[in-house]
Order: sequence, then structure tokens, then C-alpha cells
Amino acid sequence: MDTLTHLMAGLSAALSLQNFAFALIGCVLGTLIGVLPGLGPAAGTAILIPLTFKLDPTGALIMLSAIYYGAMYGGTITSVLINVPGEAASVVTCIDGHQMAKQGRGGTALGIAAIGSFVGGIFATFALVIVAPPLAQVALKFGPPEFFALMLVGLCLITGLGGRSLLAGLVMAVLGLLIAMIGIDPVRGAPRFTLGIPSLYDGLGFIPVVMGLFGVAEILLAVQQPHRQVIKTDLASLIPSREEWRRSIGAIGRGTGIGFFLGLIPGVGSIIPTFVAYVFEKRLSKTPERFGNGAIEGVAAPESANNAYANAAMIPLLTLGIPSSPTIAVLMGAFIINGLTPGPFLFQERPDLVWAVIASFFLGNILLLVLNLPFVGLWARILHLPYQYVCVGTLTFCIIGAYSLQQNVFDIYVMIACGVIGYGMRKIDMPIAPLVLGLILGPFLEKSLRTSLEMSAGDFSIFFTRPLCLVLLVLAAVVLVASALRLPPREIREASAG
Amino acid sequence: MLKFAKCLSVAAIVAAALTGTATAQQDFPNKPMQLMVAFPAGGSTDIAARVVASIAEKAVGQPIVVVNRGGAGGQIGWTELVRQKPDGYYIGFINLPATNTVILDPERRAIFNEKDFTPIINQVLDPGVIWVRADSPYKTVQDLIDAAKKSPGTIRAATTGILSDDHLAILMTEEAAPGAKFRIVHLDGGATQFKEIMGGNVDVAFDNVGSIVKRVLSGEVRALTVLDDVRSKFMPNVPTSKEAGYPTVISSSTRGIAGPKGMPAPLVAKLQGVLKKAMEDPEHVKKLEDQGIAIKIMIGDEYEKYFAETHAKAKKYTEWAKNRPM
Amino acid sequence: MPNGRNAAKRGWQIACLCLLAIFVPALVTSLGYSLIDALGPGPGFFPFWLSLIGAVLSAVMLAQTTLAKTNEGMEISLPDRRGAVQALGMLVALTAAAALFEPLGYRLTMLPFIAALLVVLGARSPVAIALTALAGSFGVFYVFYHWLKVPLPVGVLGL
Repeated sequence: MDTLTHLMAGLSAALSLQNFAFALIGCVLGTLIGVLPGLGPAAGTAILIPLTFKLDPTGALIMLSAIYYGAMYGGTITSVLINVPGEAASVVTCIDGHQMAKQGRGGTALGIAAIGSFVGGIFATFALVIVAPPLAQVALKFGPPEFFALMLVGLCLITGLGGRSLLAGLVMAVLGLLIAMIGIDPVRGAPRFTLGIPSLYDGLGFIPVVMGLFGVAEILLAVQQPHRQVIKTDLASLIPSREEWRRSIGAIGRGTGIGFFLGLIPGVGSIIPTFVAYVFEKRLSKTPERFGNGAIEGVAAPESANNAYANAAMIPLLTLGIPSSPTIAVLMGAFIINGLTPGPFLFQERPDLVWAVIASFFLGNILLLVLNLPFVGLWARILHLPYQYVCVGTLTFCIIGAYSLQQNVFDIYVMIACGVIGYGMRKIDMPIAPLVLGLILGPFLEKSLRTSLEMSAGDFSIFFTRPLCLVLLVLAAVVLVASALRLPPREIREASAG
Repeated sequence: MLKFAKCLSVAAIVAAALTGTATAQQDFPNKPMQLMVAFPAGGSTDIAARVVASIAEKAVGQPIVVVNRGGAGGQIGWTELVRQKPDGYYIGFINLPATNTVILDPERRAIFNEKDFTPIINQVLDPGVIWVRADSPYKTVQDLIDAAKKSPGTIRAATTGILSDDHLAILMTEEAAPGAKFRIVHLDGGATQFKEIMGGNVDVAFDNVGSIVKRVLSGEVRALTVLDDVRSKFMPNVPTSKEAGYPTVISSSTRGIAGPKGMPAPLVAKLQGVLKKAMEDPEHVKKLEDQGIAIKIMIGDEYEKYFAETHAKAKKYTEWAKNRPM
Repeated sequence: MPNGRNAAKRGWQIACLCLLAIFVPALVTSLGYSLIDALGPGPGFFPFWLSLIGAVLSAVMLAQTTLAKTNEGMEISLPDRRGAVQALGMLVALTAAAALFEPLGYRLTMLPFIAALLVVLGARSPVAIALTALAGSFGVFYVFYHWLKVPLPVGVLGL
């Protein structure tokens, strides 16, 4: 097919001065949206939709798409610097990214994140160009039963996050799953565990909880040290060492793959690929104890996964007209408002437009790298400010972020409470990551289980009679067994063999 | 003497209150307004809300900020709406019959009822539609119903939410075609519905015209029937349920703006004037009709009557839904 | 003052008890939601099993911690007096800010909040404090409210 011709045409359209400008504005705005609290990509994109009424459709879509994947990068900045995820998907980067920042390698973390994101995004876009339609068809096979099995795989990976105590990791995961049940039951509509508080009808907000557990707790821990040392970041350390490069390359590759494949499946959401990439990397590592203490792969893998996901998730939208996540649904709304319905027919009706948008993804990823890398050192310098200002700044940031989600003061209280809890957990070394993962997976698991049973009229065998689902269930079992056995590092095995 | 003084002071207070309110209404609005949508950004209600907000705010001279309060099928948003002050600065979209079913379903434990709203003006009336994949064996709605009678409880019919207008439409269909029974699968929203139909995980979808018209026109999917007594002007080739022989199966999703109860009549009238003008604006009409969303402006008695009728209808089917075996 | 090791053990025990205090009531509550009905698993299905598993695991963890003989690697550092005062002050300030957020409005709440917190944490320069407080309250408000259209609360005093 003349894909190449189309792509060339698209590229020349994307490189027109006007569209280039739109891509640039979109990247900048997107990064800003990712950094600023309370303004997630979905809300930010939605606010900008009326702007697109005045622009021509191609330009508008280029800009909105750029905002979308730009925001994925912006969220990383705050995760690394102040342990507060700028947007939900950046949660995982906090774990090792912030530790690196505390060790004076914040610039390196941001740099590797930028590079990893770039690789992830470019790869996903290439794949979009080459293999999009057939892959998308396969992804369609993921119905509710397959989804449930996939989430189960994710759950079984939790054991890799437990840190020192496997039992504690499991308990935290169960707690996370349970907390996710607070609110109105998604299938039947009955309120659960809401204690009569209307603000709880939609459950505990993910962002306030995470801002509290990570950001506020970090601040509470920080003020304890009587003599706060200023972190020194010298410019030389902005560049990763050879050792770090070596480790990151593999992580970036694997993260990209994971992010890409999960991006093809509608409904997965942006957080799950980052978690999976992180845990996968940790399992593969010969020195997993480094994770959580500033392992560079712990930043490289989720960041690549993040951007690979974001770009790959456009595939179901463009080829089939199916939005993969709420943010993409907003993008789809933008398409529709401009009179275009994404899907196979749009490819045929308006190839010029679709290919211009796709070409702009290449452009956007390059722009993001160019825009962000030079500033990495500058961002890292923020941590050089006297710690009082960093603390107060972070707290202000968190307050705004928690409040602006729903204009509800209740969310601020939730954040404060989670801050205290997070502080306690860190003190006694109780793992937080499994709790967060449980919180994320809970709704998916329950919803897909019950929808599957609606499809089968209550027959559980649906999970075993669908081939793809069965494969995934076996995979989940394998992951669980492998984790439980905790295969010892190669050195020990070699030593005992010799 | 004291009594007289008391009367005078009461009179003074009342007068002050009245003039106070009157002035408040005269220079309304003097600060930004909020227009609440009880669903996440990007959905049909949201898009239509943003269009009307961007036009109306020019007329009132103050920003009208669209606020998304999604969750629990709209319950979160409407709960918040009824708790606001009836001063006109916070109004929101109600979706009939979704708002009605939330009130009527005892399990939801809604803290509001139908009297807690001041209906202002209706914007959209989006008729229900039954659609299938383009390669589906069902060519007409009668094919579908025959199949549902032949193997009751096996045909998977998807809704966009539990107790949504789609859900009630399925029940109406079963009522009008005795012996026909569907296996109802509740999904969340039109996008998921589209995905599961294309993936072959469900067999037929009950949704609304606005969500699916583009794909019907492009041939990706086939619409079997529109649940209305007149054909949709966006899909003129699709027969109505009335023409298909099921005149009682009339269902739609109706979206309008309301405020909390207790809004003074002059304020409501003012808002009605502004919003009606915005909805009749050619740009608004074009933007909505381009997407296949049918505008139906209703104010005053007409709207109140429609509300009451929808409520009564929803009551009947909600009770049935709760008692229907799987 | 308990030493590091003891404190860790106590900390874990308290944590396990807190967990039980969450899981057990949750278990009881979820019994009140229907577990299974004609339409499949009900609202109470998942919560019931989760709270049961959670309660059992927490009990095991409690037993494990209590019966453990050695506590290697379980050190925790307790904050010194000054650190504790600062942390507590921060929490009080946060809660107060949240309580006053809507009545007083964003600007009037954040101005004293930022200034007070800076002082409590040991900032010195009055100019820097004042500037930061103003930027963080009025400045941020302007950006968010007017440019980004993100509504931050305006209190009864119109600010």
C-alpha cells in the first residue's frame, strides 16, 4: 500500500509552519499540564476544546494530541523532584526517581526519563504506521473475561513489589483492593462503605490518596532531619554513567514493548503499563534490592512504557474509533466536535488529515525531547532552594491538586490523612506500592468479573472456554508460582552447583 | 408601641430582602457561573454543554465554566447540584430518565428526589436506537425479536449503564413482544458498547441516535430501528419502532438544564431567556446537528409535564428491572 | 524512650491491629450487602472475601511480629523533639487551611498558611517569606482562576 506516500504527505503537512507551531504549543502546554497539580490531561484537554472551534481541524487535532502525550512527560518532573505525581500515571516514577533526586541525581533521572519517553513514543508511532490495523483487530478480542484475566496477571505481579516482607505486600494489596470498593457499586448502583458521606459516593479519589501517601508523607519525613543538607547536583552528574546507560538500555527496550502492547488494549489505562514495566524490570534484575533506592532502571522502564502506551493508545482510536482511556475519549470528543468520526472510514475519507496527525506524533516526540532535555538541569536546581521553600511549595501544590479535582475540600482531608498514614508506613517499612496497585486494579477486576458473568448468564466456565482468556489465566498462574518460589539469584545457584 | 416597632422592623427586613433579591437578580450574573455536567468530559452531554456554554457566556458577559462531576451514573453530580444555593450561579444538566431512575431505585439511596430540582430549560432529546454490527444476521428489528423469542435469554443486549434509558428500552421491548427475553449486559458508556459489539462479545446494542449516527451513515454498523414515533432526520432510512409494529416502545435520553429547588421565578425566566437564545443560535444548532444530536427546547409547563411523565414511566420499569430474574 | 528495635516491633503490632480494625468491620458490613443473588455476585461478594483474606493475613502478621525473636533490620528512627514539633505543626496548619479553605477563600487562607509554615520550618528572611506568601496565594490564584479557568474558592469576604 502507499503508506509511505501517505506518510510523506502527512509529514510535509505536519511540518508546515502553522502545524509545527501547533505541535510546539501543544507540547509546551501538555508538559505544563502534567506539571501543574489538579489539571490532569483529561481536564486540560477538555478545557482547550472550545479553542479548537476556531482552528482548522488538522491543526486542532495536532495540538490536542501533543498536549496529551506532552502531559505524560510533565508529570514525571514533579514525581522525581518532590515525590508528587503530577498526573496519575507518574506514580511509579516516584519510587526510584525521587530517591535518585535525593542522591543528587535528579537531573539524570529526568534525562533518562526524557530519553526513554522519546524512544517509547517513536517506536510506538512507527508501529502505528506499519502494523496498526491488524494489531488493532487482535486487540478487539479482549472482552471482559480476557480483561479480568489480564488484571489477574497484574495482581500476581504484586508479589514482586512486596519488598522485604511478602506477607506485608499481600496484605497491602488486599487493603488497596478493598479501599477501591468504597463508593457506589459500579454494577448494581448500591453505595458501599460510604458511611453516609456523599463525597465518598465516588470512592476515595486516587490522586488525593497518592498525593498524600507519596508527597505529603515525604515532606513529613523530611522535616525530621534536624540538619537538612542541601543536595548538590553538579553538572557532570546530569549525564548517566556508562553503567547506568547499560542498565537503562534494556529497561527502555522492555518498557517500550510492554507499554506498546498494553496500549493496544482499550481500557487498560495509563498507570498499569508503568507498574507492569517496573515490576518486570525488578524481577529480571540480578540486584532487585536496588529498586526503591534509586535504581535508574526503575525510572527508565516506566517512563518508556508510559509514552509507548500513550502513543500506542491512539491506534485503537484512529483505526477503529475506540477510545482507550478517558483522556483519549476527550480527544475523540474533539474529533467529533470538529465533524470527524475516528475510525476506518476516516482513514479513507480524510487520509490527508489522519496522516498529518500521525506524522505530527513523530514531530511531537522529537519536540518534547528537544524541549525538555536542556531544562533538566534547571528543574533539578529547584531542589537546591532552602528546604523550607521546597516543603511549603510542595504542600501548596498538593493542596491545589487535591482540591481542584472536584472542588471538594473533602479531598484535601483525604490527602492529609493519607499523608499521616504514608508517613507511618514509611517509618515501619511497610510497602506502599502494593497498596496503590490494589487501589488501581480493584475496580477493573470487579467490573470485568461481573460483566463477564452478565455475558455468560452466571456461568463461570466462560473464563475457560475462551482461548485468549485461558492463556492469560495460565500466565497469571505462572507469574504467581514464579514469584512465590522466589528463584534465587544466579550467583547463589552457581555457587551451590559448583 | 413596642408592637408597632416590631411590625415596622419586620416590614423593613422583608422590604430589604425583597429589594435585595431584586437587585441581585437585576445585575445577575455579576460573577462567573458554573454549569455542571454529571458525566466525564468528552461524552455527548458534555460536548453539547460546552457548545451552549461558549455561546451563552457571550450574552451574559460572565464566564460560564463547565464543571464535570462524573461518577455513579450521574448520582454524584446531581447530589452536588441539589445542595447548591438557588441563586443561579450553579446550574447543571439533568438527564431524563437517568435522573429519575437514580431517584426511584431504593438501592441507590439518593439524597434527592424529583422535587429538589428547578427545571429551567431542556436542550436535547436523543431518541433510542437499536443497532448491530454491519455483518450481523439481524436485518430488521423483527429478526431480532424473533430470535429473542426462539432462544430466550441467550441474545446479549448491551446497555450504556444500569437503569439507563437503554436498559428501560430493553424492558419495554420485552414487554411489547411477549416471549422475547434478552441477556442484559451493562457496559459503561457508548465507547465500550461499540468496542464490545465490534469484538463480538455482545450481539446487539441499545443506545441513542447521537452516539451512533455517524457510524450508521458510514456503514460500519446497522441500525435496526429508532425508538420514536417519527423517523430521525439524521437517519431517515431507519424505520421507527412504531412502523415496525411496536408503537409502545418509545424511549429517549433527554438532557436539560436545572437548578436546585427554590430558584425565584424571575431568575428562572431570565436564565430561560438567555439559554433559549443560545440554543437557537445558528452556531449551536449547526454544531449539535453536525453530530446527529437532536435539539428539543422545552421550557415551563411543557418541560415540567415531560419531567413528570418520564418519571412515571421510569417508575414502572425500574420496579420491573429490580424484580426481573436474570 | 523505647529504642529503635522495640519501637519497630511495636509499630508493626499497632499497624496489624489497625489493619484488623479495618478488615473486621468491613467484613461485617459487607455481609449486609447481598453476596449472591439471581443476577450473579452482588455488591457484597468481593468486599466479603477481600476483608476475610485481609483479616486472616493481618492476624498472621501480628502473630509473626509478636513471636519473632530477633528483629534484625527492623530499626526505625524516631524524630527528635524539634522535628516532631515541626511535623505536628505542619499537620495542624494543613488541617486548619483545609477547614478555612472555602469560608475564607483560597487567597486569604494560603497567605497566612504559607507564611506561618515558612516561619515554623525556620525560614528567616521576612522579605522572602512575604514574597513567597504573596506569590503562592494571590499570584497562584490569578494564574489558576483567570488563565486556566480552574475554580479555586472565593470566600465570604470576596477574596
